[in-house]
Amino acid sequence: MSLLEITDLRGGYGPSMVLHGISLTVNEGEIVVVLGANGAGKTTTMRAIAGLISRKGAISLDGLSIIGMNPDKVVGAGISLVPQGRGTFAKLSVEDNLLVGAAKRRDRAGIKEDLERWYEVFPRLAERKKQPAGTLSGGEQQMLAIARALMNRPRLLLCDEPSLGLAPIVVREVFSLLTRINAEQTMAMLIVEQNAELALEIASRAYLLEVGNVVSEGTAASLRNSDAVRRAYLGY
Amino acid sequence: MTMPSARSKGSLPLQINQGSATHRSLQGLGLAVLVGLAFMGSMTNSFQVGLLTQALIYASAIAGLNLVTGYTGMLSIGHSAFFGIGAYTTGILVSEHNWNPLLTFIVSFLICFVFGLIVGLPALRIRGINLALVTLALAVAFPELIDRFPGLTGGTLGLNVNLTQLLPPHWTGIGIQNRFEYYYWIAAVVLALVLVLCSNLTRGRTGLAMRATRDRETAATAVGINLAWIKVYTFGISAAITGVAGSAFAMYLGSLSADSSFTLILSITLITGLVIGGVATVVGPIVGGLAVIYIPHWTEGLRQGQTEGLFFGTILIILMFVMPDGLMGLLKRMSRFVVQIKPRAPEGPSAASEELLVGSDLNANPDSEGKGDTTLALS
Amino acid sequence: MQVFLEYLFAGISNGAIYAALALAIVMVFRGTGTINFAQGEMALFTTYIAWGLTTKNVPVVLCLLVATAAGFVLGAVTERVFIRPIERKSLLATLIVLLGLFLALNSLDGILWGNQNYTMPSLFPNSVSSFVSVGGARLYWANLGLWIVVAVLVGAMFQLFNHTRLGLHMRATASNRESAALSGIPVGRILMLGWGFSAAVGAIAGILFTPLSPDALGLGEMFPILIQASAAALFGGLDSPGGAVAAGLLMGIVEALLSGYVPAIGGQLQEAIAFVAIVLVLLVRPQGLFGSKEVERV
Repeated sequence: MSLLEITDLRGGYGPSMVLHGISLTVNEGEIVVVLGANGAGKTTTMRAIAGLISRKGAISLDGLSIIGMNPDKVVGAGISLVPQGRGTFAKLSVEDNLLVGAAKRRDRAGIKEDLERWYEVFPRLAERKKQPAGTLSGGEQQMLAIARALMNRPRLLLCDEPSLGLAPIVVREVFSLLTRINAEQTMAMLIVEQNAELALEIASRAYLLEVGNVVSEGTAASLRNSDAVRRAYLGY
Repeated sequence: MTMPSARSKGSLPLQINQGSATHRSLQGLGLAVLVGLAFMGSMTNSFQVGLLTQALIYASAIAGLNLVTGYTGMLSIGHSAFFGIGAYTTGILVSEHNWNPLLTFIVSFLICFVFGLIVGLPALRIRGINLALVTLALAVAFPELIDRFPGLTGGTLGLNVNLTQLLPPHWTGIGIQNRFEYYYWIAAVVLALVLVLCSNLTRGRTGLAMRATRDRETAATAVGINLAWIKVYTFGISAAITGVAGSAFAMYLGSLSADSSFTLILSITLITGLVIGGVATVVGPIVGGLAVIYIPHWTEGLRQGQTEGLFFGTILIILMFVMPDGLMGLLKRMSRFVVQIKPRAPEGPSAASEELLVGSDLNANPDSEGKGDTTLALS
Repeated sequence: MQVFLEYLFAGISNGAIYAALALAIVMVFRGTGTINFAQGEMALFTTYIAWGLTTKNVPVVLCLLVATAAGFVLGAVTERVFIRPIERKSLLATLIVLLGLFLALNSLDGILWGNQNYTMPSLFPNSVSSFVSVGGARLYWANLGLWIVVAVLVGAMFQLFNHTRLGLHMRATASNRESAALSGIPVGRILMLGWGFSAAVGAIAGILFTPLSPDALGLGEMFPILIQASAAALFGGLDSPGGAVAAGLLMGIVEALLSGYVPAIGGQLQEAIAFVAIVLVLLVRPQGLFGSKEVERV
């Protein structure tokens, strides 16, 4: 059994359906990437998993169905989403942002321990811990969003377009950090990404979405070599 | 002229082309029924005529409010003040300066237009909740200001117009004992003019701009509509219409007291009427005016002290939940099963884009997620 | 000096209740993005409850506690039942529902307790002789008590906001509701609590303020206070609790001194002054003195 199992997921905004029956799985400790053009339903898939929109079908985490859960319950079940645009609490300090990420936890000692751990991994956040998060640079806010999600000690981390609006060198940094966290914590990740080349580099498997359907899936290597993906997303 | 193009003869809904002979004659029939009803109303006993007169006056006031709140989406809790300004304009000009009451209506219109522009001015910089707060404060401040200048307004003692100055002129053939019939016809004519004005305003480019302001400001800016202007202008014209209704009210009542007639409660009553009748509809204000006058009248038997307020407050809440587009909205939706008016082929860009915006109502909020977007619905 | 101090004391008492209600308004605004028009009526309703209990010979302290709890429930239930389902539709719809609530609550007060005014017993000694003399001016215990309780209340609220986990979650929800939900905060429950606390603060303020003058408890008592408190909240910045409290206090003092020394613009014109203040603040500095620019977008 996979960690995350999605079967025939349908959903959208109000009466307009965006997802027309998506099925995908993420295994324990694995990085899976979802590719697709704008409007293919990538972000909607993430929001549906996180419980932000109404959805139908089946989603389970380690066998536990999360389909009817509110967002905060989904977080409690062990899935954290790093939303597109980072969702920074601009007026709160960096440290408060991280503490909000631990909203579902009660273990004070563990929370403190995790704070220290992520300050170590993201040293620039440690330097700015008292600063309002809104004053951080785009890259720093992305790191903060990831660290905030990690404070929940999720079993599965969802990342929606982590490279959006960042300089190429910062994007590299973010992706290498994600790989490092995946390796050190054996944390499963599902990443939505426009930058297909980079994403396929760190992923073990990938799905290709078009207008709300999965049109192609396989190992990262096989998708890298598929003509469709190359023409559309890799540009060669 | 094209003939009605029924999809299949005799089956519902009937489809009628806009502007066709059938459509025109249906409209004519509707108008005739309204005029007939107006005559029937005038022939009831004087108590009934009085109630009807009030209902028609409130309908005009609500029609004014409808422009700002219904079509443009800016909640005004301050229309009681415009109604009051209109009423006091007429009261003062007639009692102190011996004006012909009917001429004062024009002055009321102009004065309230200017006041409306002034109150609408903050809308250039602020929106939503803050604008609502400005109008709320206006409603509260108005009776205080009236009481503060007793030399002009009669203050807390009120302003009484001598009855002889308000009698029907000879040419009407209405005697002094039937003078309420005269006020009734004034209220009816005012309402008719107001509705014609409103329906013209809301149909053209101005109407398009109003709805665009309400539904999505960014979109409206994109199509090149001057939003600042449209908000202030709408506030002005809306206040002017409600002010004229106030003038009719002053004639009908003959004595004015700000503390009893022009308080915040009146504003809430007008909003209630608007919501009951249906926001952003032409006929809704008539239904609303009748409702806010007749419901308390019919429930008088149950009434003890504050029951009316509790009733209206509750009805306001319930309507927003179950019938946010009011009785006319409901009728409109139901009538679509019987008759459908097919719009003419769009002649210009405005006609085409207007169609896109017409279907929206108070709940016209395409995005139900973000708070930022929700607030756009009120500008 | 003595006269000045007496105006000042009256001003601080008015200012304290403006501050408390302004704080209540800000608490709701930060969570829901609306001004609760019914805020004053909620406070009035609970003050009536407390008064009703005192007529049954219940000790005033106990009345205060019961009415505060009732206020909390009233606020929380209002959020859950009336606001949450409607707020996603539009702000206009929400405001209309709040107006309906305003009218319904006031009328309900009238039905339950009648049109006449009552004198609310004070929590503190409140006879003609229970005062201390400060610089020749009389400072009544009821006033002093009001100041202290409001100060403690405001302090407790700030402690809650800034130094507790719940407060952190409230601030996060105010800052970015979706992110808060994605971090595992039960946003609905947080909003409900915010409305509950807000109405409880209003309840306490109403119960302490009403005894300051005889026959003060009536159907029209709270509405003018709400207008002043709204003006204060706007002045201080709708999203700034500290700004709202400071502006409320300042407004009470300025108003008392003005109506004392410049009778022509004071007294009956209080709401008109508040109106002018509101318009000016909104035109000159829409985000208020201490608010952040973001409020302007609303």
